Amino acid sequence: MNQSLTSLLKHLSFFSALAALLSGCGGGSDDADTAEVIDNTAEVEEYYATFKRVPLELKAKLDSGAIGQEEFNRSMEDVALFFQFKTIADIPEGLNWTNGMDLPDFGSPNAKKGGTIYSALQDFPRTLRRVGPDANGGFRPYILDDVAMRMAKRHPNVTGIGPDGHYYYPELAKEWAVDKENKTVYVRLDPSARWSDGEPVTVDDYMFMFFFFQSSYIQAPWYNNWYTEMYTNITKYDDHTLSMSVPEAKPDMNSRVLELVPVARHFFKELGDDYVQRYQWRFQPTTGAYVINEDDIKKGRSITLTRQKDWWAKDKKFLRYRYNYDRIHLTVIRDIPKMFESFKRGDLDATGLVNLPEYNYEKLPDSDPDIQKGYIHKATFYNDIPRPSYGLWINQAKPLLDNQNVRVGIHHATNWQRVIDEYFRGDYIRMNTTADGYGEFTHPTLRSRPYDVDKALEEFAKAGFTERGPDGILVNADGQRLSFTLSTGYRTFQDLLTILKEEAANAGLEFRLEVLDGTAGWKMAQEKKHDITFSALNVSPEMYPRYWETYHADNAYDKPWLEDGVTPNPERKIKTQTNNLQSVAIPELDALISAYRRSDDADEMKQLAFRMEEILYEDASFVPAFVRPNYRAAFWRWIQYPEDFNVKLSRSSGEYFLAWIDQDLKKETQEARKSGKTFPVSIEVHDQYAPKTITEEPSLAGITP
Amino acid sequence: MITNKPTSTISFPTKRVAVYGTVAFLGLLSFLFVNWRFGLGIILIALILSIFSIPIRLNPLTVKKIVRFKHIRRGYYSFLVLLFLSVFSLFAELIANNRALVVRYEGDTYFPTYSDVKLGKTFGLEGPLANAPVNYRDLQAKFKAEGGDNWVLMPVVPYGPNENNQFEGVLKPRPPNAEAKHYLGTDGTGRDITSRLIYGFRIAVFFSLAFMSLVYLIGITVGSLMGYFGGWFDLFVQRLIEIWSLVPFIYMVIIIFSVIPTSFSISTRVSILLGIMVLFSWTGMTYYMRTATYKEKARDYTAAAQIIGAGPARIIFNHILPNTISTIVTFMPFTMAAAITAITALDFLGFGLPPPTPSIGEILKQGTARLDAPWIVTSAFVALVFILTLVTFIGEAVREAFDPKKFTTYR
Repeated sequence: MNQSLTSLLKHLSFFSALAALLSGCGGGSDDADTAEVIDNTAEVEEYYATFKRVPLELKAKLDSGAIGQEEFNRSMEDVALFFQFKTIADIPEGLNWTNGMDLPDFGSPNAKKGGTIYSALQDFPRTLRRVGPDANGGFRPYILDDVAMRMAKRHPNVTGIGPDGHYYYPELAKEWAVDKENKTVYVRLDPSARWSDGEPVTVDDYMFMFFFFQSSYIQAPWYNNWYTEMYTNITKYDDHTLSMSVPEAKPDMNSRVLELVPVARHFFKELGDDYVQRYQWRFQPTTGAYVINEDDIKKGRSITLTRQKDWWAKDKKFLRYRYNYDRIHLTVIRDIPKMFESFKRGDLDATGLVNLPEYNYEKLPDSDPDIQKGYIHKATFYNDIPRPSYGLWINQAKPLLDNQNVRVGIHHATNWQRVIDEYFRGDYIRMNTTADGYGEFTHPTLRSRPYDVDKALEEFAKAGFTERGPDGILVNADGQRLSFTLSTGYRTFQDLLTILKEEAANAGLEFRLEVLDGTAGWKMAQEKKHDITFSALNVSPEMYPRYWETYHADNAYDKPWLEDGVTPNPERKIKTQTNNLQSVAIPELDALISAYRRSDDADEMKQLAFRMEEILYEDASFVPAFVRPNYRAAFWRWIQYPEDFNVKLSRSSGEYFLAWIDQDLKKETQEARKSGKTFPVSIEVHDQYAPKTITEEPSLAGITP
Repeated sequence: MITNKPTSTISFPTKRVAVYGTVAFLGLLSFLFVNWRFGLGIILIALILSIFSIPIRLNPLTVKKIVRFKHIRRGYYSFLVLLFLSVFSLFAELIANNRALVVRYEGDTYFPTYSDVKLGKTFGLEGPLANAPVNYRDLQAKFKAEGGDNWVLMPVVPYGPNENNQFEGVLKPRPPNAEAKHYLGTDGTGRDITSRLIYGFRIAVFFSLAFMSLVYLIGITVGSLMGYFGGWFDLFVQRLIEIWSLVPFIYMVIIIFSVIPTSFSISTRVSILLGIMVLFSWTGMTYYMRTATYKEKARDYTAAAQIIGAGPARIIFNHILPNTISTIVTFMPFTMAAAITAITALDFLGFGLPPPTPSIGEILKQGTARLDAPWIVTSAFVALVFILTLVTFIGEAVREAFDPKKFTTYR
């Protein structure tokens, strides 16, 4: 009896714990302020004094069993400490210091500071942290990517490749020097650089950056991995001089170091196990122009960024004509059509919704009264950046799809041209390789296979699919239907897939559509459970495309080959959670990828990239879809942009904060809306960076009787 | 209280109806999920058989009720209209389709609607069109232009439900246009709305019929058993039902649908959806059946049957059920309306039938996002309201016709 009572009590306590947990979901995160005080100074010092990075080769040896734990420990003793402290005298002579100050400035000298811009978010940010769970959302650019200062940033208009890699203009750095031989970059920080709370930015903040990103407290494995594998050392010479080393002297090794954003040492004194809760709603000091005041966070409704009046970098070249708005007011509007209506009313100052054809051509056509009266301006800007790899990723590990003829047939049975012409209304262009938009690194002559029913049928016939079943879908001698699941995590592109489905049926191919939500779709692809997935990998403006992640056999299978390195291991298992979504495993390609990763010569890398693209073209497991060569923006007349509108590397009109508000025009326009006064129409196309037009090979498929 | 007069002597052909009903239901399933032609045949046979067998031995009370139902004009005509539409939708392929009804080519006659897919070369097309399935609209235009003896007869709405038709060179909503035979216009990707509505209606109606039959089958059985056996069995099952009915059905649909693999065909996935919906909806019916059975169980005719030695199954289904059925019948149209609403709502939320299956909910969803093309939302809205109004009218009429108070003095 007694026992059962105890167990009952146990259950009761379980339920109360559950209830507490549930109520905690609501708003328990505010408790962080009252939590115990942590001071991690000693822990950080200890880490600096002891941490050694495991060299990747050594780790690989240990993992593969080539060396034992003991030998591994012995080898580790010879590895130098990751954090080093030296003096100014230790900096080698003869370094070639540069500062990028001779590069042309961008933005407009006419820009006026001031005003509030009203904009919208679809979801309220789930946290103000920059890393950790939920941090990688649509709000992060406002506090990190587009606003926080790096040591130096790639010049967005001068995009060529120089002797040290891409051209950089300084932000936090005063000057820097690349030592290719020792795979090290030396940097002097600008002594005037300040955090938004007034503290100076010093080398300590960069040392701490490594502690921060390598620590498990932040619950961000990607960062843990990146900051441990991609850097071998940081050395402090004095408060404003440091050097960092990287494992490989790649042509773009300067970017690995210069793009780093410091982490405020003094703010994260309390970094510990409860990081996620403790820092959930605390705005961390920034080196950028905009801060968030506590009063401006209206949870679930709106959030406002405020420009620091005495921002340390406000007069610096490359930054002086940017970050012009005094305040950026972001309201949460969950419904897209409602967001558009708010813009049309003038409640929002600008919108990117015109990037969607239905908005640009039907809801806000050029003939719209507000545009014809000159109240709303429209602009189209051609940028030149690496393109997200939209396409069909065919999983070769699946039955039938392991047949190259079937894959080529799928290429010819997929009518992207119709999607581009009729669904995107010619706004987009066809993607041709797996890596478009990398300038000199993109294969110059390769063209994707056109839609062509006869060619598709021919290829399918080679694979044994010669007869059509009663529903018009091809069947082979065993009665197997030529039918595959086409899955996607993009609900917005659902209609586009139904077009592909209908068109593929003409060539006797059936796509069974599966539309999942974003996370589920991506998870399915990463677990390699898909037949064919329509997806895209997003890319940052890097110098050259990556191949190892997506095409190396090591990312397709565990132990892909037998001893000889070319015979497929009959017992190999699919490797999940990698980006080789096509299960591509080609020994020749692997060799090229390894050479490509080792190479420190840009020209050699280009040749290797072209060769790899050609192999991938033959392999035909990626059907390149489309590329959006431009972006559009619609904005009220008082929002002003520079003459050339934006910079070459911009991905949206707001990314580089070049626009400003003209208060006089705002007043004038608002009065004109009442009185009916009109202004000149402004529909601009800025195609100074547009790719030269490539004439498409005429395809027979478009002809009708 | 004439309603409660034992009717086992003037036997309502429960058994036979049950047999035909089962046959018809199997037919319905095969219609939806196996081979629709085969299924259609079975349904028709079952229908004819039951129509011929029922009237002869109908309970006079039931006859009275039916007569009364017929007198409630609004409900009766709604019933006729809905019946007509449902039968009509079985032949949707002959009304809205991108396949021709009849093709006359070089002296031969073809009926492509229900035949295998025909390739272009069958009708003398050349080049890339020879090996692709025929586009009959283009073929019609071609034959007309040639002026020979060849001709094509297209259905009234010459568009399939999943076909993207361009308008001014792009895929965008096209306003209703009788000349282009887009009678209700097209949706955001140029699919004909009339065609999608017809097919969507068919799926919704037959889905809801299947849903209703299954829910009632389970609900009536469990409810009657509870009422008849009573005692601990009743208590136990009641608690089970209470717990079960607290599981939020919409989340279950979302969760289960996110884990079932897509290699299943669309019809399998539709049946799974049906299964889940039934699994979480049968509980409501049991309460009514339980009460009604309790009441009937206490009557003399049940005792008489027990004394004669009839088993529980016989008593429940042959003696009690005919007397409690009127309670149930009145709910039927409303259950159907609920099923149509549920499937529409699920489609609207994006968790219903897999794309590109035509459905009213999907059109409604598109329409609310495309208010600049008002014909999309109007079509779906009017269609949905129309169907639900019909069903509700029928429901009201049935309820009134079957109202036992009509026969009591305290009216």
